[in-house]
Amino acid sequence: MSYTVEEKKQGIKIHYIQDKKYKTNLITMFITNPLNEQTVTKNALITSILRMGTKNINTQEEINKKLENMYGAEFNCGVEKLGDNQLLKFYIEVLNDEFVPEKKKLLKESLDLLFEIAFNPLVEEDGFKKDYMITEKNSLKQLIESRPNSKDQYAFERCIEHMYKGSSYSIFKYGKVEDLENINEKELYTYYKQMIEEAKIDIYISGDYDLEEIKNIVSNNENMQNLNSREPKYVVGNEQGGSSPKESPDKIEDKMDVTQGKLVIGLNIENGSPEKMYEMAMYNVILGGSATSKLFQNVREKASLAYTARSVYVRQKDTIFIRCGIEIDNYDKAVEIINQQLEDMKNGIITDEEINSSKNTMITSVKTIQDEQDTQITYFIGKELSNEKPDFEAYIDGINSVTKEKIVQVANSIKTNTIYFLTNA
Amino acid sequence: MQIIENRNVKEKLYIEKLKNGLTVMVLPKKDMQKKFVIWSTNYGSIDNKFIIPGEDQITEVPDGVAHFLEHKLFEQENGTNSLDTLTAIGVNANAYTTNDHTAYLFEGIENFYPALDALMDYVQHPYFTDENVEKEKGIIGQEIMMYDDYPEWVVYMNAVKAMYKVNPINIDITGTVETISKIDKNILYKCYNTFYNPSNMIMFICGEFEPEEIIKYVEEHLISDENIGEIKRIYENEPDEIVKPIIKAKMEVSMPMFIIGIKDKIDFGNEDIVKKHMAIEILLNILLGKSSKLYKELYEQMLIKEEFGADYEFSKTYAHVVITGESDSPEEVLKRINEKIEELKKTGINEEEFISSRNMIYGTYVKEYNSISDISKMFISDYFRGINSFDYIENCFTITKEYVEQILKDVFDPNKTVLSIVS
Repeated sequence: MSYTVEEKKQGIKIHYIQDKKYKTNLITMFITNPLNEQTVTKNALITSILRMGTKNINTQEEINKKLENMYGAEFNCGVEKLGDNQLLKFYIEVLNDEFVPEKKKLLKESLDLLFEIAFNPLVEEDGFKKDYMITEKNSLKQLIESRPNSKDQYAFERCIEHMYKGSSYSIFKYGKVEDLENINEKELYTYYKQMIEEAKIDIYISGDYDLEEIKNIVSNNENMQNLNSREPKYVVGNEQGGSSPKESPDKIEDKMDVTQGKLVIGLNIENGSPEKMYEMAMYNVILGGSATSKLFQNVREKASLAYTARSVYVRQKDTIFIRCGIEIDNYDKAVEIINQQLEDMKNGIITDEEINSSKNTMITSVKTIQDEQDTQITYFIGKELSNEKPDFEAYIDGINSVTKEKIVQVANSIKTNTIYFLTNA
Repeated sequence: MQIIENRNVKEKLYIEKLKNGLTVMVLPKKDMQKKFVIWSTNYGSIDNKFIIPGEDQITEVPDGVAHFLEHKLFEQENGTNSLDTLTAIGVNANAYTTNDHTAYLFEGIENFYPALDALMDYVQHPYFTDENVEKEKGIIGQEIMMYDDYPEWVVYMNAVKAMYKVNPINIDITGTVETISKIDKNILYKCYNTFYNPSNMIMFICGEFEPEEIIKYVEEHLISDENIGEIKRIYENEPDEIVKPIIKAKMEVSMPMFIIGIKDKIDFGNEDIVKKHMAIEILLNILLGKSSKLYKELYEQMLIKEEFGADYEFSKTYAHVVITGESDSPEEVLKRINEKIEELKKTGINEEEFISSRNMIYGTYVKEYNSISDISKMFISDYFRGINSFDYIENCFTITKEYVEQILKDVFDPNKTVLSIVS
C-alpha cells in the first residue's frame, strides 16, 4: 500500500491510496462542515437532491442506467456525523478495468461522474429543480420520522441527546422535520454554492491504478477546476466539549412498544486528551469491547441477563457508551452489575490476561484496517479531521506502551452521566 | 486434490476430500494480512426430524437445537470458553446458524495456527451439563426478544409463514422461548453426534497459504472419525400453493413496512440453479431496479421510499423471491408490480435493459472477491446448495434474453404471491 496526499488547492485534498490487492477501485469524497442547527437539515437535503440529477445527466434513472452499464458501479451519497462535524459523503465503487470483459476506462468515468453529481447540479431559475425538492423533502421527512424503527439505535441517540443537550453533538445527523417547511429551492441552491466554496473537501481514491494518470484526470476535470481555494472550517476532536461530569447520573426513560428493554449508559472521561487516546481505548476494550470484556463476561455469560452487552468509545468526544438489551424487569440487576464493573476497574481489579487480550484485539483490528477499502478510508478521514497522520506502526507502539496504572487512572477519571432506558408502556 | 481456476477473477480454488469424509477448500489470497477459516456442518434450523445412521426410528427434536448447539460448543470441560481463548490471542471468532448450516469461524493476523488449534479443538469437543445448558436459555431468550423488536425481521418471518405451510423455514432459527425450554444436554449430544460428523462438514480457508500445507495440517488435527454415512432428513412435502395471500402485524413503525413474497418451486439437482438465480436477479433489476420505469414512477408518486429492493432466496428445499420496502399503501405497490409483470410477460424484455442488467449482475459477483470473509461465507453457503461459487461468474454471459423471459413466465405467478405488512 502506498499513500500520497496532494493538496490541490487550499482546503481541497486528494488522497491516493494505491493497493494492488483489490478487484475494485473506490472513490469517496467528504465535504466537511461543523455540525450546527442552522445547516444540518440543509446539508442532508442537499445530498438527496444532488443524486436526483445533474446538469448533464438530468434524472436519477439515467444516472442509474450509467452505473449499470459500468458493470454495476455502486454510487451513493448521504450525511455522516463525526464528532462535531457533519460530513457529506459521496462514493463510487467500480470494478478495476482488469476485471471487466471489454476495454473500458471505468475509474475515469467514475471520477467524472462523482464530480458531476456533487458539483454540477441540475439548476432551474437559480434554484434546484422544483420536482426534486418536493420528492426529496418528503423522502428526508420520512427518513427522520423512521428513527424509532430501530429501537437500539434510537435508544443510543436519545442518550446522546440528553447527555449533550444544547451542544452540537446532540444534533441528529439528518436534521429536523420542522426545518424542511422553510427551505425553498432557491435559498437551498444559494446556500449550496456557498457551502461547496467554503467547506473542507477530501477525496480518497483507493485501488490499483497509475498515479500520474489519475492525477491528470483529476486535474483536467472541469468541475474540479471550477473549485477555488478556501480556509477550511472543521471541529477538531473534543474542542467544543458539550457534556460535563455530574455528581450523580441522570436517569432517563422513554416508553415505547418494545419486547426487550434497551439500556444505554453514557460515561464522561474527565481530562481526556489526544495523548491519552490509547489508554482510553484500552479501558473501553476491557470494559465492553470484546468477548473477554467485563460486560460480556458478567452481564451476559455469568448473569445470563443479555445477549448483547458492550461498550463503544467515541474518541472525538472523550466519552464511552454502554449498551445492553435486557429483560425489562432486570433493569436494577443489570445496572448494579454494570456499576460493579466500573467500580472494579477503578480499584485496579484488572488482570494481565485482560490487558494482553485487549492489546491483541486492538492490534488485530488496526492491522485489518488495511484489508478493506472502505474501512481504511473511514479511518483516514477520522485522522484527517483530528489533524493527525495515519500511522499504523505508531498506533501499535502506542497500544503496547499502555500500562495497568494508566488504565486505572482512566478508570478513576470516569463518571456516569446518564442512565437511559427504553422500556415498554 | 482438485484445482479449479477462474480466469475472470484470477483466483484458484483447491478442493480436497479427506478420508474421514471432510471436505477442505482453500482459496489462496496473496497480499491480504487477514486469514479466514470457517468450519461448517450441514445442519440448520430446518433439520429437526431425521433418522440417525444405523437406527430405524425417526428422531424428532424441539425447534432451535442447531442454534442452541452453536451457542454451547464454545464451552469446554476445563471450564474455559473457546470464544475467550480465541479473543485473548487476538483473533475475531464468531459463529452463526442458518436454516441449512451452522458455521464456526475466525479471522485474524497473528497466532493463526494456535487459533486454528483452538477452533478444531472446541468444535470436536462438546461439553454440555445441565447447568451450562440452563444458563444459556436466558441468553438465547434475550436474543429471541431482540429479534422480536426488529420490525424488519417480523415482516420477513411473516412473509415466510404466509408462503410455507410445512417447510420448517417458517419457524425462527432460534426457536421460541417455549421450544428452547425443552432442550436438554441429551438432545444436544444426540444432535451433535449425528450432524458433527466430518462427512457432513466442510472447512473453507482463505488467505495467504500454501494449499497442500494447510490441508495437511488440518488432516493431522482431526480426531480420526469414521464416516458414519448418510443422515436421512425428513422434510414433509411442501405444497405448491401459498398459505395465505396477506398477513399483517402491528408494531411501532413510522411507515408500514412490507415484503412481497413469490413462492417458487425448487427442483434440486434437475435444473441449472445458478443460471436461474442470475436470470431472476436480472429480471428483478429490469422490473423494479433503480433504473427502471416502475421504480421511478413509484418513487415520484411517493409510494415507496428510496430503500426498495429484491432478492431470490433458496436452498435445497425451498425457493422464493422477496421484495422489500416501506410504503403508505403496500397493496397499491403490489398491484403496480403485478401489472408490470403481466406487461413484461406480453411485451418481452428490452434487449438494452437486458444487457446492462446482466453486466451489472456480473460486476456484483466479481466484487465479492475483495473480502476474504465474503469469499469464505459465499463458498460455504453455495456449497450446501450444491453450487461452486465460481459458476456464477463462468455462466453469467451464457444467459440469454429468451431464457430470462421463460423464467419470468415460470416464476412470477400472482397466485403464488403473498404480501406481509407491519404497521
